[in-house]
Amino acid sequence: MALRNRARSTRVLVVTLVSASLVTITVDYRQGDSGPLAAAGDVALAIISPLQEAVSKVTDPIGNFFSTLVRLPSIRRENRELKEEVAALRQEVSTTQADLSRLAQLEDLLGLQQSLGPKLETTAAQVIANGVSNFEWTITIDKGSGDGLVLDMPVVASAGLVGHIVRVGPSSAVVQLIIDPDSAVAGRLDSGETGLILGAGGGDLRMGLVDSTAEVLPDEKVVTAGYRIAGVAQSLYPPNVLVGTVSRVLPDDAALEKSITVRPAVDFSTLNLVLVVLAGGSSG
Amino acid sequence: MRRTLLLAAVVLTALLLQTTVFADIRLLGARPELVYLLTICFGVLEGPASGAVAGFVGGMAQDFLLSQPKGITALALTLVGYAIGMLRQYIVSPSPVLPVFLVAGGTFVGVLFFGVVSFLLGQLDTTWLYLFRVSALSAIYNGILTPLLFPLLRRAAEGSRSRRIVRW
Repeated sequence: MALRNRARSTRVLVVTLVSASLVTITVDYRQGDSGPLAAAGDVALAIISPLQEAVSKVTDPIGNFFSTLVRLPSIRRENRELKEEVAALRQEVSTTQADLSRLAQLEDLLGLQQSLGPKLETTAAQVIANGVSNFEWTITIDKGSGDGLVLDMPVVASAGLVGHIVRVGPSSAVVQLIIDPDSAVAGRLDSGETGLILGAGGGDLRMGLVDSTAEVLPDEKVVTAGYRIAGVAQSLYPPNVLVGTVSRVLPDDAALEKSITVRPAVDFSTLNLVLVVLAGGSSG
Repeated sequence: MRRTLLLAAVVLTALLLQTTVFADIRLLGARPELVYLLTICFGVLEGPASGAVAGFVGGMAQDFLLSQPKGITALALTLVGYAIGMLRQYIVSPSPVLPVFLVAGGTFVGVLFFGVVSFLLGQLDTTWLYLFRVSALSAIYNGILTPLLFPLLRRAAEGSRSRRIVRW
């Protein structure tokens, strides 16, 4: 008898908990980002992020040590390749600087708006945690509304585009990476063709809406297009930030658009320091 | 009271580990699902009622850190904790690897269930292939971690009991 009673009370408990979950799902689904549940989520973020920061401060050096140990041979090779690249880039920078000053002079002469725009105003932030689920590609950074961060601000790393801010806490913020399937970035190929770069989870990005007649080559660079239609819409991201390189072009003559995959320039698994673009993004 | 504190501490630790340490230690791109693991362990150790409560609390905690509609993980985990707790009562096996299989199986079904509910709500942006892959990989990963974490959770659960009960 007692056993049956216990089984019944367990069943009542489970039904209650399931109903509570269903109510939460429904309420949150209907209210979106503005309801009290979203606010509770921000509180949860504010509570957990200092702890995450503490844990990652302790564990990062240990993890770095082991991953370095494993990758030692490839790091040596990378070091040599990078040195060669630095030499080549130094050469390029010196010629580019001459070009830039010439461009500025010519623009001045023609009375054009400066196409390069002022430098982006950024603030550096440390990555303190990754997303909690296997179904969301996000990172948590250690700067928040207290540092002037607001929703939708673009985030870049030294290698290229990282993503944009989707949640802000007082001293932390959640950044949706461009590899998240919810992410879409207006991109432009070297050739000037534009398209929409969509996240595809862990793997390469997909670039759609590219004209099927356009000639696209592997290893071609893809940068943000930074659309701006005055007063109507504006891309979240500043123009000309490197997104990645074309990894594959699927030959499909019958399709209306080209099927292109893009390898992101940023290695999201080793992301440590990022820059949040505060202003100056779309003034180009 | 002690149990509530214990559950809160265990859930918080699991979420912290999952977002920091295990974010870098992946199995073919997949992370373990530690909250699934602890829910199933609680179901095995303490029965269906505790399993359901642990699942609900852990799931809600995880949900509030996600930007998806909150409550989906809580729903999946409440059911997983209850189901594993019920199932455990019908299995008479002294095998020490039983928890490993229960955790792996429960995680697979649980993550799959989470994916299906997310899909029905229009929140699953990945492909079905990815869903299956992640369910399988996180189930394997959780199974691997079980021999390490199950004894810890058992000690914690037994230590928090008000009266000693004979161990199964």
